[in-house]
Amino acid sequence: MGTDDADRTNPPEETDKTLNSTRTSDSESGRTSAAADSWSSKRDKDGPRPAKGGATPPALGLRGTGRFLWRQLTSMQTALILLMLLAIAAVPGSLYPQRSVNPALTDQFLEENGRWGEILDTLGFFEVFSSPWFSAIYLLLFISLIGCIIPRLGVHLRQLRAKPPRTPSRLTRFAGYTRLELPGADADALLERAQRSLRRSRYRTDRREETASRSVSAERGLLRETGNLLFHISLVGVLICIAGGQLTNYRGQITVVEGNGFSNSLTQYDSFESGAWFDAADLPPFQFTLEEFRAEYVLEGADESRVGQPLSFEADVAVTTPGQEQDTRTLQVNKPLHVDGASMYLLGNGYAPEVTVTDPEGNVVAEGPVITVPMGDVGYTSQLVIKAPDASPKQTAVVGFFLPTGVIDEQGPHSIYPDLVDPQLALTVHQGDLGLDSGVPQNAYEVDVSTLEPITGEDGTPVLVSLAPGQFYDLPDGTTVSFDGVRRYAAFDVAHDPFERWVLVSALVAVGGLILSLFVPRRRLWVRVSEDDGKGGGGGLVVLEVAGLARSDDPTLTDDVKTLADKLAASQDGTRHSDSAPPDAAPDDTHEGSAQ
Amino acid sequence: MIDQQLAEISNLAIVVTIVLYVLALIGFAADLASTSQRRGDERLAAREEQERKAARATQPAVLAAAGSGGTTSATVDGGPGSSSDGVESTAGDEAHSGTGPATGAMSAQTFAFILSGAATMLHIVGVATRAAATQRVPWANMYEFATTSTAVVMAAFLIFSIKRAELRALGTFVVGPVLLVMLLAQTLWIVPAAALTPSLQNSHWIYIHIAIAIVATALSILGAVVATMQLLQGRHERAMVEKAAAGEEYPEHWGRFGHVLDRLPSSTTLEGLSFRIHSVAFVCWTFTLIFGAIWAREAWGRYWGWDPKEVWTFIIWVIYAAYLHARATGGFRGNRAAGLALAGFVAVVFNYTIVNTIINGLHSYSGL
Ligand code: HEM
Repeated sequence: MGTDDADRTNPPEETDKTLNSTRTSDSESGRTSAAADSWSSKRDKDGPRPAKGGATPPALGLRGTGRFLWRQLTSMQTALILLMLLAIAAVPGSLYPQRSVNPALTDQFLEENGRWGEILDTLGFFEVFSSPWFSAIYLLLFISLIGCIIPRLGVHLRQLRAKPPRTPSRLTRFAGYTRLELPGADADALLERAQRSLRRSRYRTDRREETASRSVSAERGLLRETGNLLFHISLVGVLICIAGGQLTNYRGQITVVEGNGFSNSLTQYDSFESGAWFDAADLPPFQFTLEEFRAEYVLEGADESRVGQPLSFEADVAVTTPGQEQDTRTLQVNKPLHVDGASMYLLGNGYAPEVTVTDPEGNVVAEGPVITVPMGDVGYTSQLVIKAPDASPKQTAVVGFFLPTGVIDEQGPHSIYPDLVDPQLALTVHQGDLGLDSGVPQNAYEVDVSTLEPITGEDGTPVLVSLAPGQFYDLPDGTTVSFDGVRRYAAFDVAHDPFERWVLVSALVAVGGLILSLFVPRRRLWVRVSEDDGKGGGGGLVVLEVAGLARSDDPTLTDDVKTLADKLAASQDGTRHSDSAPPDAAPDDTHEGSAQ
Repeated sequence: MIDQQLAEISNLAIVVTIVLYVLALIGFAADLASTSQRRGDERLAAREEQERKAARATQPAVLAAAGSGGTTSATVDGGPGSSSDGVESTAGDEAHSGTGPATGAMSAQTFAFILSGAATMLHIVGVATRAAATQRVPWANMYEFATTSTAVVMAAFLIFSIKRAELRALGTFVVGPVLLVMLLAQTLWIVPAAALTPSLQNSHWIYIHIAIAIVATALSILGAVVATMQLLQGRHERAMVEKAAAGEEYPEHWGRFGHVLDRLPSSTTLEGLSFRIHSVAFVCWTFTLIFGAIWAREAWGRYWGWDPKEVWTFIIWVIYAAYLHARATGGFRGNRAAGLALAGFVAVVFNYTIVNTIINGLHSYSGL
């Protein structure tokens, strides 16, 4: 389709409209030279001819009046450059941490890089994919794409209705040229037969009367261009659907302890993001209870290096959707739960030890499972924070670790295995103003103990509270901490993107189009029959000529031409004298390899 | 559970495969070297012939191959053209290979070709036993990805060149990179056979997505080899034409390597081949992208999240799209398009190495 481009950028050079308004030999520089030559020679010959009836040229005049900028934008060169820019612009998005992907890492990077980090930040290097420059590139690309599709679509639709182009006057230079002399053959029948046979092979055909001969001109493979258009249109579709999804999707995170439930409403989420057009009323009203969470790990005694690696995670949930019975399902990694209008994904897990804190006055100030945050080691050493603002006389914070298989040694408390072999709590208790009234929102899983006073023992060092399930600890000031048991929790993402399936559909249509566009051979075939060879006698020597022309790599074309010629000849009774192709006939490069 | 015995067989098979590839590489390289040697001799002979003619030497010159045991000695009685067939190589091997007359003994190239066939079989056995040992697909970490995709490269190359014997001359340039990747895998990336982590379980998409990614990668490697040869061949051809135009009767360019190139298909043929490989590769990358997105959606609840691995697959896809475009764009055809294809390959390599090992993302479970 270089022609299409050429049409727009260099109108005067492009003279051949009837042959093919959207593609030229340009696009197959790699093809066997002979065929490429003949394609262009065809153009040269056809060029000066005024355009005829059915095959109206594309409205070059219309587009020619279009503004220079528009033509620049929609040219192949610009598309190419924008594509390359797009690739280059995406690179920093993988080299620098992205806020949308990993905010913590981004903050860390900013901290470590000071001024340089700030400059990068202003330039959008931490939000590459929503930065103005990245957006500008892809928006320009898609404007260019649309500007490119529309005229090509018109041209192609017209071409679909047009007849195959006129048979070239000299066929000798085309692929697989075959000339057969058939004495006593019936020219009409031959031509008729040729046409039928080509039609059956899904060629569009046209009979032409010429000065001293008649011919059938046949064409096949317009599907190639159809596929190409389909591909590009679907790309626009993909983009539109992605944008639609951005506006209407939502995604929320929840953490549920075994035995607890969740019902789908905004207030229940730990965090929640949604598109501009999202309406909270769209949240499907489903509920579930996490009945059990199971985890399996590589056991001791197996492959050394992998002890403690996770083997599987499973969450049993009892789901209730409106109008349906309660239903127990098992969620796994890669096995989300789909309910109408939402999907729920198992994305994390951890331990929630049940801890009771009683203040010196005897009031229970904290009770029940506490969600702990795994620190990322194999053993699932998890951080625990309990804030007890109601404790008196002073607000109290309990901080420390939960250890599924605990060891306390010179490295401090840590866990050596992720499963509950020897669960332990290792805690310290701090008192002071928790700062919860300051109005600044706080992370429930963190507390700043530097402003608090640890409860110390007789030797003046903080008391380390070390507990196994069922145990409790009385601190010197009268605070009591008891470890009542352990539950697990699971973290889920609930998400929905109403356009998702349309993104997929567009993408699949795009590949479909792509495959057509790359692999459907586009070719022309000509059959010419001329009666009598000069002698003027009524002997009726019929000369049959067959040749073809491919638009791209098409190794079977020559064979197909020869087969057709033979078939036509065989259908006639007369003896035949077959010439081998004249010396200037297109050699079939693609086959030379097998000759060795 | 992991079958340790099978896992060891697999490791052994891969090591032996590497050894066989080394031998095959030597064979291919020897073949190339001998070609260029022979070419050099031909030219020399032809030049001497000219001089002799000029000196009106009446005796026919007999050129016997010095160290080859003199299986053939040619009497030079015609022009340079007819002399060339009979001149035996001084390298001492009967390396008329694919192009020359059959001499009975096996040519270095045939030897190398058969050897690489055997090596590839063993390679596939290695990959298959790894799969059997772990009872899953053999592409869950970089070691497995590398061994599997190089097996695909070799299989594709062998299949391509069974029919088109002239492509066998590319053997050095295919076995070389394959060997390099295998060595990297064997030394840097090797990990013991193990079961899948949960993030890779329960999904068909691991089979589909990664299988296609492997094919795509393999095709990208092959495509890059062909595109490189195309670029070199194009330069070489131009230089030769210039020299011929400048009146040189026996134009020489790039010495021995030039002779090697003379034996390869023309740059136009290579361009066509490169395009065919890359268009299939592009379709595979498109599927990799789509299936990856489906899998990401099943696993993480979003089909696209600009994770570094996703970013790089996107970059690869865009570059190859640019390549296909360039082929149809005035002023970018040919060499510049081939340059883009190579840029795509660089992105593939980057994605495969740096992104897997250094850049931290969701995909970094890849086992390192
Ligand atoms: C969103 C960005 C784009 C992508 C990813 C893309 C991708 C592709 C690919 C992969 C091909 C090769 C398939 C084939 O040969 O049919 C192709 C061909 C083509 N594209 Fe695009 N394209 C994009 C934008 C554009 C734009 C903006 C234009 C208009 C200037 C355009 C015009 C064409 C044409 C005319 C062809 C046919 C080339 C030929 O004859 O082989 N594309 N495109």
